[in-house]
Amino acid sequence: MLSEVINPELFASAIRMATPLALAAIGGTICERSGVVNIALEGIMLIGAFFGVVVALAAGSTHISWLVAASPWLGILAAVVASVLMAGLHAFASITLRMDQVVSGTAINLLALGLTGFLMVTLYGHPGTTDPIPVAINAVFNFPTPAGGLLATAWSWIDQIVFSYTPIVYAAMIAAVVGQWALFHTRWGLHLRALGEHPRAADTVGIRVLRGRYVAVLISGVLGGLAGANLSIEQVGSFNENMTAGRGFIALAANIFGRWTPIGSYLASLLFGFADALQIKLQAFQSVVQIPVQFFLMLPYVLTVVVLAGVMGRAVAPAEVGKPYEKE
Amino acid sequence: MKRSVRTGLVAAVVVSMAGMMLAGCSPAAPSGGSASSGAASIKTAMVTDVGGLGDKSFNDLSYAGLQRAQKDLKVNIKVLQSHQITDYVTNLSELSGAGYSPVFAVGFLMSDAVTQESTAFPKTDFGGIDIDFTNPPKNVVGLNFKEQEAGYLAGVVAGLATQATFDPRLNKDNTLGFVGGMAIPPVQRYEAGFVAGAKSVDPGVKIISLYAGRFDDQAKGKELGLSLISSGADIVFAAAGQTGTGTEKACADSGKALFIGVDSDQFLTIPNSGNVMLTSAVKRVDNAVYLVVKDAAAGKFPGGQNLTFGLKDDGVGIAPFHDFDSKVPQSIKDAVAKAETDIKSGAVVVPTTLK
Repeated sequence: MLSEVINPELFASAIRMATPLALAAIGGTICERSGVVNIALEGIMLIGAFFGVVVALAAGSTHISWLVAASPWLGILAAVVASVLMAGLHAFASITLRMDQVVSGTAINLLALGLTGFLMVTLYGHPGTTDPIPVAINAVFNFPTPAGGLLATAWSWIDQIVFSYTPIVYAAMIAAVVGQWALFHTRWGLHLRALGEHPRAADTVGIRVLRGRYVAVLISGVLGGLAGANLSIEQVGSFNENMTAGRGFIALAANIFGRWTPIGSYLASLLFGFADALQIKLQAFQSVVQIPVQFFLMLPYVLTVVVLAGVMGRAVAPAEVGKPYEKE
Repeated sequence: MKRSVRTGLVAAVVVSMAGMMLAGCSPAAPSGGSASSGAASIKTAMVTDVGGLGDKSFNDLSYAGLQRAQKDLKVNIKVLQSHQITDYVTNLSELSGAGYSPVFAVGFLMSDAVTQESTAFPKTDFGGIDIDFTNPPKNVVGLNFKEQEAGYLAGVVAGLATQATFDPRLNKDNTLGFVGGMAIPPVQRYEAGFVAGAKSVDPGVKIISLYAGRFDDQAKGKELGLSLISSGADIVFAAAGQTGTGTEKACADSGKALFIGVDSDQFLTIPNSGNVMLTSAVKRVDNAVYLVVKDAAAGKFPGGQNLTFGLKDDGVGIAPFHDFDSKVPQSIKDAVAKAETDIKSGAVVVPTTLK
């Protein structure tokens, strides 16, 4: 029974499910460190997921062979571009126009849901789910499976847990490490954090507050686009309305839980992904233990709340997060 | 300062309104028919569940029923989509206020909304798909299906196929998988029927059931599918809307399992799925909707009761094997035919819940 729960598939599933959360959460971290709340992550991801599939479908349906082969990669690129544009809208509204950042974020989430639904009908004549993209993105590594024995079992664990993923899964890990380094060990990172803690002081020493915040929001757009592309292009190969299913909001919680650090955000997302993967495995015993299925479905959320409230202690947000900056 | 704050607010309002307008008009599916001149003509409409049109499942099927009514009976039709559970009441009252009757509410989750609106609009007739009303008033009819019978047939196919060898993906683990969207009665009836059907042909078969908690999360559906496959399931039946499309993807990507679709014949609705789509457990929501519109057009709306459509009424059934038709052995086809006869004659009564 234990081997049915604890197996390499459990950990691989956890990392796969953590990936879109982690990318969005790291984007949220960088954004909030600069002083801009980004609850638009959900919408930014959804837009990326949609336009990624639109471009992958369009390029994949041509008869130019290199274009067909490149179609999923062009899709990822399109997802990033679309998400950056959407993030740019949030930046313009909340930095330049000094709009309430929560209102702007909510508006973008609504806009993304409506726009993708509307464009699906316009482009494909039906709402719901798009056709599958013709060319999929395969796992980065593909090692042959060695013959039996203990060594082979050990290898199959390593192979599944470490080497079985598509590129964006690794990109998320790299983003966490690079983000952590950039934020805490570079001059750029110091400036960025100053914008979120005391923009007035940063301004007086010559740091360009508004530009710095724009850059941070656009970076969250890049990461949100990758998150969307991971969901639609890498994982399922098609788009369906509202397919992000609240992941942008879980990512915000992961960002707080990770104490506004990129690696913390990744680990928090991983914890959530692991809890979700674990509840899937535990559900298989639902008929044995006679517990309603909703109990299992709620476990990841309960775990998040418990960890946030109990184990972690008080998380301190950047002092000026959410407050528009105005030059005097 | 003041000016820019105001500009910001205006921008906020404009952006949110644009968002909501787009959300509101996304149905855009051809609504209203050619105006018909017959005096008997009625206006009928439906409100989709959050899965929405294009779910390739019961929302689309209900719409197909309306379209057939539009064509055959010359009635006017309209569809409003629900994007959130909070849209149900608004959509129902908008249609009732505009004089549509009967108005169909598609989905179990709309139960309370219909009960509320049927009191607010006593002159409008309502049909609730998948809703079993307690003491429905004269202007309400519940349209339910014996999903368990379709599930049973799928279970018979799966239970025999997992022991067969007509496809290299069928393993020796004797394990089947089920993926449910939310744990609501219609989905649970599919599950109960599937389990009963599989056990009827092989009492020793192992069936693992997993629920996603949502109908619109493909990525989750894929993870559930992969989990089932890693536990040895070589045939997975998903009653989970768009979540199930992700499960189909898991079967296709892993190359280790076959898939059984739900509600509509999913061979036709999921492109390029022929390689994994063994069959589908179908629910003819279109037939039920059409029948009610037909009765209503004749002035005989069957209100005040819950109707149940089973195998006998052509309300549920099993789809063709399509690409697997030549591979599936005759013994399985015979077993399905026998199960159909037994259910229709009443010799087999399929349970609606798991024991």
